[in-house]
Amino acid sequence: MQQRSDDRLVAYLDGELEAAQQSEVEAWLDADPAARQRMAALAESARLLRLALDEAIHEPVPDRLIAAARGETVAPQAGAEIVPFHQRLGAQILGPRRRWIGLPVAASLFGILVGGGVGYFGVGKLALDGVAGKRAALEATAANNLWLDNAAGYFKLVVNAGDNPPVDIPATGDPREALQKISQNLPQKIQLPKLEPWGLSFRGARLVVEEGRPAAALVYTTDKKEIGPLALIIGSTKQSDIPPTFDRRQDVNLLYWRHQGRAYALVGQANIGYLWGIANDVAWQLDAV
Amino acid sequence: MSGRFADQLITVLPRLRRFARGLSGSVTDADDLVQAACERALARQHQFQEGTRFDSWMFRIVQTIWIDQIRSRDVRKEDGDIAQDRLGSDEPVRRVEASLALDEVRRALDCLPPDQRTALLLVTVEGLSYKEAAETVQVPVGTIMSRLARARIALQVHLEAGRGRRRSNNDAAAQ
Repeated sequence: MQQRSDDRLVAYLDGELEAAQQSEVEAWLDADPAARQRMAALAESARLLRLALDEAIHEPVPDRLIAAARGETVAPQAGAEIVPFHQRLGAQILGPRRRWIGLPVAASLFGILVGGGVGYFGVGKLALDGVAGKRAALEATAANNLWLDNAAGYFKLVVNAGDNPPVDIPATGDPREALQKISQNLPQKIQLPKLEPWGLSFRGARLVVEEGRPAAALVYTTDKKEIGPLALIIGSTKQSDIPPTFDRRQDVNLLYWRHQGRAYALVGQANIGYLWGIANDVAWQLDAV
Repeated sequence: MSGRFADQLITVLPRLRRFARGLSGSVTDADDLVQAACERALARQHQFQEGTRFDSWMFRIVQTIWIDQIRSRDVRKEDGDIAQDRLGSDEPVRRVEASLALDEVRRALDCLPPDQRTALLLVTVEGLSYKEAAETVQVPVGTIMSRLARARIALQVHLEAGRGRRRSNNDAAAQ
């Protein structure tokens, strides 16, 4: 009898009873303090159970699982292209550094030029530092494939989450607090680039893994569909500097570079023009170029 | 492999890890389980029926692999044996109350027989309805309902026992 009563209480808590049965249970709970107490205990144990397993949801997903989900191994992939910041097409239009309003325009122009010409991967044919430099950078890039896969994977989580991007530390109130909190888990402090002129709002930070070390994924969202949400991943690296390099994973575009012990990746579905413009802005603001 | 399939898989990875961790009770074993499930899902992606719940399909794969592992390792025990083993432990309790309660929950979960543990995780943690959980593990809804009720009660009993032990330890320490 007790078992049957408990079955009812559990089903009631889980919202699995028909309306009539639900009314019966409610009448029973009204009349029986012991039943109320039992139900409260059942509800509390369910809450604790969810809490006990909750950490798995907020931890960074290990590289190997993202690779497994993609059906990929750590083999190098071709297709990365170098896109130097210092030889940007829009330099004459933009004038001095950090001309905020000019950057989106330049990025759009850049996107149009690239898109109308040879497509995204044609960008690498823009002025380069020579064939040898390009080859060396591409070899270095090959080693990055796994973390680029991860970066694209994390970004997909952000996109699929819609209006509530998965962040460990939300940017409620003062965004600097979020930065401070995430910095506590990182080998180096990080700065928050201001991307409001692009219509991007900082939504929070997520702890991820980059090159086997903890890194921060700063998540930005925007109403501008042509830019969409973006993630800026900043981590530390022991590898040598590489120039800004463009790559993509399916429908996710990545622009990444390393500078003086820091590794950066801007990840999004915006076209290369926007991505390049925003990355350029980030690089100037963080003195990362 | 279709990009959409991989995207769905990546999206559900955190929940698969949580589910697998609840089943196996170990972070490493759980990730091994999820990795094996991803590989199996990719090999059998043609079997997934569009319009049905992808997460349920993946939970089923994880659960099936886990059960296979249990059988192959021959570590499955009877309910009472596991519960007595765990409940009999007099492990010293020194951490903060909240953390202890959560540890207690994990231990309690570990004590449940596999079918009850699966039902509990699918419904109470992953939020599946009884019908969806029944479809996932391919048993009648009534079976899920009864496994779930037994699991919830066992969990509660275990937690009560844990609280009792902690109270006794605290009292002993105070004297």
